[in-house]
Amino acid sequence: MAAKIQDIDDTPSLPMTGAAYLPGVAYDEMIAQGGDVRAHYAALQSRISTLGASELADRQRMLERSFLLQGITFTVYGADSATERIIPTDLFPRILPAQEWAKIEAGLTQRLQALNMFLADIYGEQQILMDGVVPRELVLGAPSYRREMQNLYVPHKAYANVCGSDLIRGQDGEFAVLEDNLRVPSGVSYMLANRDASKRTFPGAYREAGVRPVERYPDLLLATLKSMSADWRPNPQVVVLTPGVYNSAYYEHAYLARLMGVPLVEGRDLVVHDNMVYMRTTTGLRRVDVIYRRVDDDFIDPLTFRRDSSLGAAGLFNAYRAGNVVMCNAPGTGVADDKAVYAFVPDIIRYYLGEDAILPNIETFLCREPAQLSHVLDNLDKLVVKAVGASGGYGMLVGPHASAKERSEFADALKADPANYIAQPTIQLSTAPCLVDGRIEPRHVDLRPFILSGEKTVVTPGALTRVALKRGSLVVNSSQGGGSKDTWVLAEENGHNGNGHAEKGVAS
Amino acid sequence: MMLARVADSLYWLGRYIERAEHLSRLSTVMLNATLDQTDTGAEAVRIALSAVGETELSAGAFEAAKGLVLDRSDANSVVSSLSRARENARQVRDQITTETWERLNLLYLKVIDRNAGRDFADNSVTFLHDIIADVHLFKGAADTTMSHGESWRFMMVGMYLERAQLIASLLEACFAEGAPKVNDHLALVSLLRMGCALEPYLRVYTAEIEPRHILEFMVFDEDFPRSIRFATSQIEKHLSELARHVEATGRAAPERLAGRLKARLEFADVGELESQGAGELLTTVANECARIHQAIYETFVAYPLEMRLPA
Repeated sequence: MAAKIQDIDDTPSLPMTGAAYLPGVAYDEMIAQGGDVRAHYAALQSRISTLGASELADRQRMLERSFLLQGITFTVYGADSATERIIPTDLFPRILPAQEWAKIEAGLTQRLQALNMFLADIYGEQQILMDGVVPRELVLGAPSYRREMQNLYVPHKAYANVCGSDLIRGQDGEFAVLEDNLRVPSGVSYMLANRDASKRTFPGAYREAGVRPVERYPDLLLATLKSMSADWRPNPQVVVLTPGVYNSAYYEHAYLARLMGVPLVEGRDLVVHDNMVYMRTTTGLRRVDVIYRRVDDDFIDPLTFRRDSSLGAAGLFNAYRAGNVVMCNAPGTGVADDKAVYAFVPDIIRYYLGEDAILPNIETFLCREPAQLSHVLDNLDKLVVKAVGASGGYGMLVGPHASAKERSEFADALKADPANYIAQPTIQLSTAPCLVDGRIEPRHVDLRPFILSGEKTVVTPGALTRVALKRGSLVVNSSQGGGSKDTWVLAEENGHNGNGHAEKGVAS
Repeated sequence: MMLARVADSLYWLGRYIERAEHLSRLSTVMLNATLDQTDTGAEAVRIALSAVGETELSAGAFEAAKGLVLDRSDANSVVSSLSRARENARQVRDQITTETWERLNLLYLKVIDRNAGRDFADNSVTFLHDIIADVHLFKGAADTTMSHGESWRFMMVGMYLERAQLIASLLEACFAEGAPKVNDHLALVSLLRMGCALEPYLRVYTAEIEPRHILEFMVFDEDFPRSIRFATSQIEKHLSELARHVEATGRAAPERLAGRLKARLEFADVGELESQGAGELLTTVANECARIHQAIYETFVAYPLEMRLPA
């Protein structure tokens, strides 16, 4: 087939055969062990193999151009000026078959349900601490624990209304949860933008695969936010609170506000008077009922939290306490995604729901435990060590890829403040085909699906797949040079719209 | 109902867009006029530069035009205006349609491109022509895709207020007391071109190009979109619509100020202009526009909170 293409097209083709695309030891999303294309990738694979290198490069350029034009960018501050760049985006979607997704969906729903019960408990009776399931000092001593939230009523006990959990697929092909993001997770706009792009890039393969839509996310988000408002306010005014244009996720904030049809406010637009929150409009002050805040806890209210913050509004927290406004996510949810608490999530699920976790955790060593610390120190070259409170790929050591000097520096930091660190085995994240420098190559990926939780809990059938674009790199964070790609969740097995040809696409 | 800050950004978005278009046009006309071997070229350069407040005519026409267009250190250049327009648009990205945003973003990417300087040098007329055409696409996208509600109206007020002021200073450069008299036919044609007025003017007055008619046309014409009167009546119209929603109107309601200016232009006559000179009227226009701007702020954007708190 490859030769045939070459006759038509002068440029070398990029056949997606086992010979040209060589997955490494990790689980590959497209090619099974033995070199066969997995059934759910068949439609896409056959489409790609008819396209030459220049055609693919053109489509990639078109995709990047479209992101630049739409302003889907983040700001890089250089020596003399700030420039905007797009987040590297790969044109090949990552595909998940229906039954795999069903398990992910069930697992995430279960997990968020348990985490919300956990939050309600630790900000209430603290039964789980009294029963000794999670160490008291781990929770109450966590920097993200907010004493101010104690005994505060939260509708539906939904503390984390928007959650983005990071899943990875290990060498055995099973998904596991790497971390939960319950504070102000971002990336959902990339999920939606990537989808628009891949519909344009591979319309035929998209239609043939039978992909579940993600477009409903904004209206489901709005419904979730509205469900959090006091029911005596019939038509609640929802707003999105952003730190402003200089925030790296500003594009997303504006995007969600626009698609929900609600105002995008900054702290300086808000006024708190008599424990009510208002926004300054052209026609005077207007009451605000629900704030989807994309500002961290520390910055929402200078009277309650950081005094030097101008991103929130003075008095906001008191208005929240008084029940006159709702903040989503609730302040203090970060305590449930603390990397040390993470180790206890399977126990938390068992404690509240009496079930085993559907999605397993990654084995985690708590450095606060002396025995585990010494194990970690002995095996630094095999482990990934992370600071408990940090996120975005900062404060982290990837043992196998670090130099001896970096490891010994990290060891000192560990010994100085062991409670601040956890360690996990280095996992070979699964790989997916990506277009890199004109070649199709396997790159490590993770998966961030988005879960909404208010009156109901919903998982959007799609996700942001993050890609480590550097060869061999396992770090997918966009702040660390990672990129992203679209994720297709198939409606039915093998990706055919139930037309009875399911087996046809299987290359074997 | 919209956020006060958002109204402010939309208003400035309109102003900057208009400014970018106007400056691009001044530069085009200036460069074209200097192609011919006449003294008219120098006159066109003088008009254009004094219309934007520059009195020194040190550099040549090309350098002057390049400065007006691409000088990032000049807050009023085309590139600065477009950057600011886009920055304001980014602030209100949730209020303007994707179509509108994309037109502006495309234009912005074009003028900040590292090759912009070379493209301008290679073929400035095409470069400027494209900017103006892109601004028209932006305005068309805004007109046809945005809801003609509050957001759009604030943008329109900004656009027309800026236009009234720009045309007023263009005319001041030629007709104010003390300004050098422009009698040369080609220079007058350049003036009309700078106001994008040549073709519409010809349809009304034919090719008899006279200073008196130019003033009459660019100040008083009812239908010409770049006449001061037209711009003023648009400002008044949009402000009246916007004011309907504001319960507590300030002392200097902006729509009343605009209405007053509009009436003044409707009832003024050209004979008066001839005997007394246009300078006084043009100064009035500039001052009134500044007052309207101030009143817009007091009414919609920077009003004192005490007045608006619920009882």
